[in-house]
Amino acid sequence: MNNERLKSITLGLVILVGMASAALLVRWTDKLRPPVDPNAIDESLYLNDKTARRVSLGFNGLAADWYWMRSLQYVGKKLINSTGDISLEDLSGLNIKLLAPLLDTATTLDPEFIEPYEYAAVVLPAIDVQQAIRLAEKGINANPNAWRLYHHLGYIYWRQGQYQLASETYGRGAQVPGAPAWMEAMKARLLSEGGSRSTAREIYTRMHEQSGDDQVKQMASKHLQRLDSLDQRDGLRKLFAAYQARTGKCPESWRELGQIFRTLGIPMDQSGAPLDPSGAPYLLKAGACEVELDPKATKVPLK
Amino acid sequence: MDAQLRTLDTAEATTHYEKSKPGGSGSLWRMSAIARNAFREAVRDRVLYNLVLFVLLLTAASIFIGELSGGQERKVIVDLGLSAMLLFGMFIAIFVGVGLVYKEIERRTIYAVFSKPVGRGEFLVGKYLGLCLTLLVNVLVMGVGVSVALLYISRGWDPLIPTIWPAVLLIYLELMLLTAVALLFSSFSSPALSALLTFLLFVIGHFSADLKALAASMGSTGARWFFTGLYYLLPNLSNYSFITPAAHGRTPDPGFVFVTALYALVYIAVILAAATLIFSRRNFK
Repeated sequence: MNNERLKSITLGLVILVGMASAALLVRWTDKLRPPVDPNAIDESLYLNDKTARRVSLGFNGLAADWYWMRSLQYVGKKLINSTGDISLEDLSGLNIKLLAPLLDTATTLDPEFIEPYEYAAVVLPAIDVQQAIRLAEKGINANPNAWRLYHHLGYIYWRQGQYQLASETYGRGAQVPGAPAWMEAMKARLLSEGGSRSTAREIYTRMHEQSGDDQVKQMASKHLQRLDSLDQRDGLRKLFAAYQARTGKCPESWRELGQIFRTLGIPMDQSGAPLDPSGAPYLLKAGACEVELDPKATKVPLK
Repeated sequence: MDAQLRTLDTAEATTHYEKSKPGGSGSLWRMSAIARNAFREAVRDRVLYNLVLFVLLLTAASIFIGELSGGQERKVIVDLGLSAMLLFGMFIAIFVGVGLVYKEIERRTIYAVFSKPVGRGEFLVGKYLGLCLTLLVNVLVMGVGVSVALLYISRGWDPLIPTIWPAVLLIYLELMLLTAVALLFSSFSSPALSALLTFLLFVIGHFSADLKALAASMGSTGARWFFTGLYYLLPNLSNYSFITPAAHGRTPDPGFVFVTALYALVYIAVILAAATLIFSRRNFK
């Protein structure tokens, strides 16, 4: 083996061993570092929205995408680190105070970027409703022909129980060229029955149809499942009432109602319990003429 | 051998041209010979290798961006692709542009060129056109790359594909402008300083709207005139930024494209004239 070759092999070994040692040392220092609460760590905004737009030169679209993806990662990371079943609509326990400025920056960099406005309308009301409204209004000012933004703003007002404002917003959106006919219908419905279950169903159905965001679609779908479940439980209570009127007592087990369920075509499991929209069996409160979701099995939101 | 070829290229090209040209005194022919040679030189210097990086970037983005962008992968691909096109093009325009003349002087091949009947202006414009041709190939291949990435993401035809091309044209015009600026600086300054000045002009060019606003907000008439003068003097590059609207499927008004193209051509003509003026007075001894 000549000297040159020996030198190459030695250097190669030094590189390999050195890199492996460095990796091991990093792992060691990671262990030595005191553990931190992941929810306590907060992202920081690099720049405020106006400065970000200024310094983005011709790359503002790409910078907006960057801020949008940071927003998603920011919320996603907090969700992963959280425990329990958390709805996208109520992330108030996650300390996501930077979400509003992140979305604000994304929309300042690219005012025509509709998705951040939608995300803000769904997520922000539980954290800072004024910011949610401000962002939706900002979107409408920048994109007066985007009827979907009126839908989002109307949704924020509806969630706050401000049906009059929600109705007016849907009415404004209905005037936008190309807006679907249901926007006008929503205006009337919100005025007459703002807090009703059917209004909620209509809103979440439209949200599920229109949204391009999977998380928002999933959230709307969960709400629709919950509304379906509420309707189903109302129906079951009616059956209990009829059973009680006939027999003078509440059913002790689902089997007592099996014949009626079969006649009505209600799906059941092997024990004869009717299934909720997520496919889990309902729980019967024996002798109480009451039915409830099984918190251990169901995927339908409990509230 | 390759080094010898490199140093002799421009001179050889002009000699070869002198032998083969049909007429004998066509300025256009001389410039095209220098342009073709500058293009060949750029290819040989592996300038177009940036396309490989671009393709890798787009491929990775097409595969992974769906997971990160919350359903906005088409917009992100257009933003990323066109921004990379501008960024890579800017680096080529600056770093290759500032070396176009300097290299010839450094290697002393410029003496061989000017010993032929080639004017200094023809030499500069030929070099400029050669780099513009390199950038054109670059931009076209990248445009096709973005279109293919969109086809892949949409699993078929995507309505954004035709809308990106006007934005690509505007990017190309911006790069042509920037190349001319780099050539102007390199005609009297060192490559490092020329690159810095060109980059600064690129940045300021995108702040032109702020310059105008600044001028309007000035209290003194002198300052107002000064900043208004700067606004009109410096290239207005923000007009060529149509990447973000293109990602939303919007195309520029044809009248707007025409005027911005005309502005670019006029500005380029002015810069090249200035560069020729400076270069023609330069003493190479």
